[in-house]
Amino acid sequence: MLFLFILVVGALLSFIGPWWVLAPVCFVGCWWLSRCARSAFWQSAGTSALLWVGYGIYLHVSTGSGLAAQVAGIFTGSAPWAAGTLGIVLMMALAALVAALVGGFSGLAGLRMRQLLRPAH
Amino acid sequence: MKTIKHLWPLVVAVVLAYGFHHAWGVLPPLGKLLSPFQGYLQNAEAEPQSGGSEIVLSGITDDVVVRYDDNAVPHIFARNDDDLYFAQGYVIARDRLWQMEFYTLVAAGRLTEVVGGAALEYDRFNRRLGMARSAATIAERLAADTVAHRMLEAYAAGVNAYIDQLTYKDLPVEYKLLNYRPEPWSPYKSILMLMNMRSTLNGGSNDYRLTEVLARYGADVVADLFPAYPAMASPIVPPGTPWNFDPLAVPPVPHEVAVMPDSSLLAFSVPAPRPEVGSNNWAVGGVRSATGLPILANDPHLQLTLPSIWYQLQLSAPGVNVYGVTLPGTPAIIIGFNKDVAWGVTNVGSDVMDFYRIHFRDSTFAEYWHDGQWKPTTMYVETFRIKGSAPLRDTLYYTHHGPVVYHKPVEGGYTKRIPVGYAMRWIANETDGADVLTFYYLNRSENYDDYREALAYFTAPAQNFIFSSNGDDIAITSNGKLPLKWKGQGKYLLDGTLAAHDWQGWIPPEQNPTVKNPPQGFVSSANQFPADTTYPYYLDWQFAHDSRAIRINERLEAMTAATADSLRSLQNDNFNVDARRILPRLMRGLATDDSIRRTVEYDALDRWDYLNNADAVGATIFDAWLDKLLTAIWGDEFPRDEQLLYPSLDRTYRLINNEPGAKWFDNVLTIDTVETIDGIICQSFRQAIDTLRKRYGELSATDWAWGRVKNTHVMHLVPNFVSFGRSGIVTGGGDGIVNATSHTHGPSWRMVVQLDNDWPIAYGLYPGGQSGNPGSIYYDNMIDRWANGDLDTLLFMKTVDEQSSRLQRDMILKPKN
Repeated sequence: MLFLFILVVGALLSFIGPWWVLAPVCFVGCWWLSRCARSAFWQSAGTSALLWVGYGIYLHVSTGSGLAAQVAGIFTGSAPWAAGTLGIVLMMALAALVAALVGGFSGLAGLRMRQLLRPAH
Repeated sequence: MKTIKHLWPLVVAVVLAYGFHHAWGVLPPLGKLLSPFQGYLQNAEAEPQSGGSEIVLSGITDDVVVRYDDNAVPHIFARNDDDLYFAQGYVIARDRLWQMEFYTLVAAGRLTEVVGGAALEYDRFNRRLGMARSAATIAERLAADTVAHRMLEAYAAGVNAYIDQLTYKDLPVEYKLLNYRPEPWSPYKSILMLMNMRSTLNGGSNDYRLTEVLARYGADVVADLFPAYPAMASPIVPPGTPWNFDPLAVPPVPHEVAVMPDSSLLAFSVPAPRPEVGSNNWAVGGVRSATGLPILANDPHLQLTLPSIWYQLQLSAPGVNVYGVTLPGTPAIIIGFNKDVAWGVTNVGSDVMDFYRIHFRDSTFAEYWHDGQWKPTTMYVETFRIKGSAPLRDTLYYTHHGPVVYHKPVEGGYTKRIPVGYAMRWIANETDGADVLTFYYLNRSENYDDYREALAYFTAPAQNFIFSSNGDDIAITSNGKLPLKWKGQGKYLLDGTLAAHDWQGWIPPEQNPTVKNPPQGFVSSANQFPADTTYPYYLDWQFAHDSRAIRINERLEAMTAATADSLRSLQNDNFNVDARRILPRLMRGLATDDSIRRTVEYDALDRWDYLNNADAVGATIFDAWLDKLLTAIWGDEFPRDEQLLYPSLDRTYRLINNEPGAKWFDNVLTIDTVETIDGIICQSFRQAIDTLRKRYGELSATDWAWGRVKNTHVMHLVPNFVSFGRSGIVTGGGDGIVNATSHTHGPSWRMVVQLDNDWPIAYGLYPGGQSGNPGSIYYDNMIDRWANGDLDTLLFMKTVDEQSSRLQRDMILKPKN
């Protein structure tokens, strides 16, 4: 349920909102749907990362553009290994990391804040 | 305790979101950049779908139709000039916004704002050149000119209409990576873009280096080794062409023609002219063409960059229908053709940058001595805003010559605490004229008279404007503002205290070197001397090496029934004129040494046909050898690291071929031995071969192939963005070759136009693509065809409704009511 909420609402809002819109989505989702800290964190982190990497790979494949590897080249000071698939993997991994960290801690924050403010539920 | 346990995740989440939302040092905001919904992946572009779109914009008065062809070239059809230039600005901003703004930041000395302190010295240099201040003055002056002002304003409005639509997601990827946003465009910025071109084409000087030679060896040696006209020359205006004008009196040469340099820092801050920046153009008249009407060709040689320096488009409105290339950031077509005429440009490169040693009154720099009195300087405080650090201020002083580009801080007692400095007089800081109007009127030209009228508006950088029309006229004019100088003025550093050293006025524009329909049936230029020594005015003591000019004129002289393909083939000519001139003598020298004569390298060179083709090993050896040979002859007396200038290639070849006993062959650093010409030839050959072997292994047809060794690359404008560039492009050519493709520079646009009474047929290509976006297939799609020497047939539409299978998609700009 939480997974679907973050995936759907997160995707919809990401198209119109700023990049950090995942944070309030995970926060609200976990406030509402999560019961345990571990799942709040990991489901938020995993779903956020999935959303970014999934859409990222979709854009990469559907456009056929080599931009991901080129940007990887800039990040790595033109390391030769970054020019191919490994560069794309690096860029997706970086995106996953950012999305997972922000999403995960926001989800955990949502759960903890509910526990603090509305302990009865 | 409980509160902390519940609050810490929120704190961490907020800190992370904040951290990824902002840039840290050179690291861009990772959240924004990496999000596929906003970040760099939004710049990944699929191949555009065919079809149409409509965009409503305020600022236009009528519908504008933009039709894109299969090379992403926009064909713009508007119903009035204002809408036309608005649409040009809008369309080019969609493809090249980041690039056009980048050029303005360079010219204005503002790169530190986006890349940080690393660019400070470069910025400081560009500010001291005074380009931003001159651009502002020009823009202000042009505001009074109805035509230029309307064109520049409409263009700026179009660019701004695009900028106003942009959210972070839509920004060109460079803005995302460097983390800044575009500023509004203005006519001032279009002028800054042209300033950048003035600097590229005229922003170098050897005055300091030659003055050092004068100081060390005296006037006789300079006259001998640095003569005012080459031994082997092929000037632009064919020798024998009469000068049909009464020249002005040329100012007399004063007693003192130079001041000695007192600090080498000037040489370090002012670069030498870039020999690889040059161009070719030529036109054959009807007598030499298969069609009986002229064919014109042009290929400007510039640094090869991505995004490309040129942008192709067609501009059509009542009174104008023109196709060609433009510089991103400026309205109109710069090099192109219409139904009746075609034109192109190469750089003139005459001496339009001089340095005056300024005698200041005291360390306040407030006054300087000139013509027997103290005159006040004007002071400007420049503020550098530097990304990631505190702003920095620098004071700039102006004399009547121009900005003081270098001044020495007060130090030591020997200068009596009076600082010295050098002021620069530079054509780029002339603020009259209206260069953009030249192009406005050329775009609408119908015949030779229109061409001559259009040229009158042009100031700088002076260009060899080549012209042809379907009235069977061909012409070329070295056009621009050219200072009236005494013979040799500005060959050396000048004395800022003497009025006689000031620029003395201007050559009347109608007396600039020009020729129309010469008996030879063709006109051409390759940056060489505009005219021979019969021309009454002094332009410079040195122009580009004549090798390209000689080859072009030889081939044109042999051409009959020329077609567009004959001209395309000449653009790709790889013949090495220098090798033909000097290699026979050098090989005779090598043959005196048996151990060399038995080497495979000698054999390869001996069998070489003087063609700098991509697979030529001989070209690789000759190029490496020539470099070592020049150092062996001149390096001892004129060391480059002491900022001295080598004599020209032409003078060196004459020395080798005709003066075998010259004292310059002896290496003055070896006291006990006297080197001979043959000794130097053999020794430098061995050095060159050693170097090549170390770098590429033993001689092999693949590893030593010229195209591979030359390794032509096309780099992104940000040097660190290596992965946005292309390297390892295999092409022939080289410096001094008609196909002037070197490691970093080359033909930045090749065009051939076959004039016709009905409709011209034109071909063109440049080493890049229409899009400035590395994520687009149109970013570098023309590079391989360019490397092959191919040209695209250009789609020059007669009307907006023209049917063509090459037209892929339409964009209609509609006025907002």
